Amino acid sequence: MKKIEINPMTRLEGHGKITIFLDEQGNVDNAFMQVVEFMGYEKFLIGMPIEEVPRTVSTICGV
Amino acid sequence: MSKPKLAYYLAGGCGGCDIAVVDLSETLIDVALAVDIVFWAPTVADAKYKDLEAMPDGSIDVGLISGNVRNSEHEHIAHVLRNKCKVLIAFGICATNGGIKGLVNLHTTEELLDKAYINTFSTDNPNKDLPQTSMVLDGKYELTLPSLMYARPLDQVVKVDYYIGGCPPHYEHVKKAFTALLSGQLPPPGSWITMGKAVCEVCGRNPVLQGKPKKFATTVKRTIDGAPTEDGCLLEEGYLCLGPVTQGDCGSKCPAANVPCRGCGGPIPGVKDYSLRAISAIASMLDNEELIEQIPDPVHLFYRYTLPSSFPYKRLKS
Repeated sequence: MKKIEINPMTRLEGHGKITIFLDEQGNVDNAFMQVVEFMGYEKFLIGMPIEEVPRTVSTICGV
Repeated sequence: MSKPKLAYYLAGGCGGCDIAVVDLSETLIDVALAVDIVFWAPTVADAKYKDLEAMPDGSIDVGLISGNVRNSEHEHIAHVLRNKCKVLIAFGICATNGGIKGLVNLHTTEELLDKAYINTFSTDNPNKDLPQTSMVLDGKYELTLPSLMYARPLDQVVKVDYYIGGCPPHYEHVKKAFTALLSGQLPPPGSWITMGKAVCEVCGRNPVLQGKPKKFATTVKRTIDGAPTEDGCLLEEGYLCLGPVTQGDCGSKCPAANVPCRGCGGPIPGVKDYSLRAISAIASMLDNEELIEQIPDPVHLFYRYTLPSSFPYKRLKS
């Protein structure tokens, strides 16, 4: 099975890639979009004073 | 003469630094005309990693990397860009010191994944599935993901020629940095591109600049405890402002808006460990030791932007 990778997906913030699988005839058998990054704000924000959170989570995406 | 070639890569960041460049607005047109942008991904140009990998080594004049190095893909592209670029710049506080996203280093990867994918109120994941670096779906689709790493500033991965702080860098500062780059008027390699003044030195609230004496803080306040006076020093009033040790290339924008500085500009010249210097600076401005007990959440305050570059953390890892 032939595999085509489009990496990275562009004109967006955050990293993603697209993987396309082709069958024997060259037709698309299946395609996947993956978000390849993981941040972890859910955990590391715990304990932060609430008034500091808005200016911190604004860096989840700055676009 | 051919135009200098420019590359820009967003590693483990948020794209805010990319936007700071776009915020040059009309000046960006001059910059775009003066340089040949050969790579700017993933945010602005439609360039792929394989295009970058195919370029000859040393063929790019200036490379900017924003964001920290957090996974194997960031690490790989950082190495590729180092080989392709004559000058490599850590652009923004994530690349220079780790940034807010560097706070992941407070926890293990297992703890972070558990909170995000399993143990949260709004998560529906009965099989407790977690991201895998490689997997075969339905017995035939081979899929891969980069492997996660502790967050590192760029200079812990490759040699960095220049540093530009800020979360993001203020566009006026970006303008000055690009002007310096394009005219070749750069400081010695390894330097920060900065005017070298602290936030306090450009702050309208600084009593010393108004010819008044500096007073100790007799209380510790959170910003939810009330509004500061119109023109008084935030630190004197008890709002823990990190202006004394932070580069002021932002023009002291936060204190002007009643918001204490949190240190995104990076360390003032001569400071090797920002967080330790910030602790020292704040401690020296408090009236008595009991006030230290009242500082809410010191880790998220003093290490917010600089945890992966801090001295104790580096020792812990080595």
